Amino acid sequence: MGKIEWAMWANEQALASGLIYLTGGIVGVAGQLKGWEYAAFGIAAGVFVCLLEYPRSKRAKGTNYERTGQYCFTVCVKAFGPLTSNYYVRAFLHAALCVPGGFMLATVLGCVCLGMASLIYLSAAIHGEHWQPIMPKSEPAKSVTQSIKHPPQNPPPRPPAEMRRKRAEDLESAAYVNPLPVTANE
Amino acid sequence: MGLVLRSWAANEAAKHCAVVVWVAVSAWLFWRTFRLFSSGPQYYYLHQMLGLGLCISRASASVLNLNCSLVLLPMCRSILTVLRGTQQVNSRKARRLLDKSKTFHVVCGVSICVFSVVHVCAHLVNAVSFSVRYSDDFPALNVAQHRGQDPRILILTTVPGITGVILVLILFLMFTASSYSIRVCNYEIFWYTHNLFILFYIILMLHVVGGALKYQTNVDTHPPGCIRTNQTNSSSYTSSNQVPETQTKAELKEMPHITVCKEDAHFQHHFPQTWLWVTAPLCLYCAERLYRYIRGSAPVTVVSVIRHPCDVIELRMLKSGFKARPGQYILLNCPSVSSFENHAFTLTACPTQNKETFGIHIRVLGDWTECLSELLFPALNHSEILPIMHQRTYPKLYVDGPFGTPSEEVFNYEVSVCVAGGIGVTPFACVLHTLLGGWSQYRLRRLYVVWVCRELQCFYWFANLLCDLHHKLWEENRPDYLNIRLYLTNTQQLQSFSEERFRPLSSRLLIGRPRWKDIFGEIGQSNQHKKVGVFCCGPKSVSRELHKLCNSFSASGTVFEYNKESFS
Repeated sequence: MGKIEWAMWANEQALASGLIYLTGGIVGVAGQLKGWEYAAFGIAAGVFVCLLEYPRSKRAKGTNYERTGQYCFTVCVKAFGPLTSNYYVRAFLHAALCVPGGFMLATVLGCVCLGMASLIYLSAAIHGEHWQPIMPKSEPAKSVTQSIKHPPQNPPPRPPAEMRRKRAEDLESAAYVNPLPVTANE
Repeated sequence: MGLVLRSWAANEAAKHCAVVVWVAVSAWLFWRTFRLFSSGPQYYYLHQMLGLGLCISRASASVLNLNCSLVLLPMCRSILTVLRGTQQVNSRKARRLLDKSKTFHVVCGVSICVFSVVHVCAHLVNAVSFSVRYSDDFPALNVAQHRGQDPRILILTTVPGITGVILVLILFLMFTASSYSIRVCNYEIFWYTHNLFILFYIILMLHVVGGALKYQTNVDTHPPGCIRTNQTNSSSYTSSNQVPETQTKAELKEMPHITVCKEDAHFQHHFPQTWLWVTAPLCLYCAERLYRYIRGSAPVTVVSVIRHPCDVIELRMLKSGFKARPGQYILLNCPSVSSFENHAFTLTACPTQNKETFGIHIRVLGDWTECLSELLFPALNHSEILPIMHQRTYPKLYVDGPFGTPSEEVFNYEVSVCVAGGIGVTPFACVLHTLLGGWSQYRLRRLYVVWVCRELQCFYWFANLLCDLHHKLWEENRPDYLNIRLYLTNTQQLQSFSEERFRPLSSRLLIGRPRWKDIFGEIGQSNQHKKVGVFCCGPKSVSRELHKLCNSFSASGTVFEYNKESFS
């Protein structure tokens, strides 16, 4: 039915794969397994991918769901301009980052997941999507209407106390009437 | 303090008990399998080869078995609807647990992901162990073809390995598409990836057939750690048991806990236990889907379409054999708009003995509902002259359901409070509609309806229904049965109902947001020492506030039980 935003899903995948890559790298380095240099690269790549993917993009149409505390990351990612807002660049970047993970057992999973995220980003780029920062809305100051700026200085004119008092013999000419008709309770 | 605890216990205790039971069962299963593989004699040689990786991978596999079978059960919606309806069998506490079925499904799903990660890590370690500690004494135990074989080759050339990789990929796709933001923004991605579960289960059945881990069958004739008569095996037992070649057989027999093997060890694959766990829930779920497909395959007849203010359309339909209870919802599918999308709408009028039609109120917000409304009300600005007998052709509609919701319980409390926000009033409108037909046969003795809307026009959706029921109850001398409170949050101008027949509503209309604490205090005062059911169908903020209030209410001995309506 409506347009599917692939980039949102690719973003979730890339964040998750960054974490998996990072975990695999830590296991590889900590265990001093064979090929631990690839694991060290995996740690660096995992951290980089997580930082890049943490700020969510602004949706083309609809409400935006920010991640907690993503504003500072948004500012950093926005600073790189077209390098980060274009999804083709992101797709190729993720594809390149995931390749060294395939050479070591601990980071193989991170490699495959990041590769899938890269494919979904490619699909998003082909559909013409791009990354937009979610900036906090600056509310315009509420403009007070003219009449409240200048409240009236004087009370409204009213007749003298003599005339204001309701006289029993002359109810018709009384200066006030009851504002609401008094009826039986509803 | 005791009253607050009582309120909290009435609302939260059953849920938390269920979770504690589930955690306990999982922990017991994990521990039992761990002990079996770490100290069972039939796994002695395998344990020597693989170490801790074996125990952790098997223990996490058993917890995965449990969760893969449990995760399907909360999604059998028709079965849950039937369970809800059998009121003589179940207590209300058990039915309230059914409200949390989607949450339980999510919990099982998350634990599947977590334990899959543990299982995969343990098996990666096993792959390395298979390669490094290749066993020359027991060649049948090996998965590697030679010592030092690359573990990645082991993973990619064995059936459990390759199926495991595919399973992890499918799980990754399903997990990343299930986050809250994706479900709200792009439901289709969530729906299509989640339907990969059937592929997941088929590959899971293949994954356990591989039989990489074997157990020893002849433990009695070949006790683990025994010595072979023909050779000294320095690698098959620990150094403390090493026997120099010069000792004779007779001397060997004298030494305690060193026995001679009568025969060589035999190893065998396990029977795939996962099949036993998973088959029954999977068959149940597939049967339910088939039943729903057959039931929803007959198109419904559209009887009337009415346009209401504030972009709401009322649709009245007829379907043979359709029975529903107030509070239930249906899934509507319109192939002319989109073949695969099903949208949930609560019934606002159930079929009764006198009237067989059922109705829903649709709020037009979003592309699917906009297309549907265009099809139902074709553009009126064409200038051609319509023939006299112009037949209104409605699009074909398919209805799946009805499915049960927590709002069905309104009739089972003595006092119920229904809080609705905007179009969320639909389940309660169905309740009111049913009460119009007769109120004395239910347990319900008092109903509070609090309806909060942004525009005055929204109240016109059910103004007639509210007034009719109000008048009927006044005529039958039950003025305290129905308590209506309408709140208008749009404070731009002073508005009220101008029509004379809506007088009962105009006197119950209040401007501004409702103050829930005061309302609850008032309801508590009028219904002391009673159990009041609170039903909410509205925005999350209202729902959260009401839930907190129900958990912490402590005045006048009243206990408020909270029931929340939720779809997605």
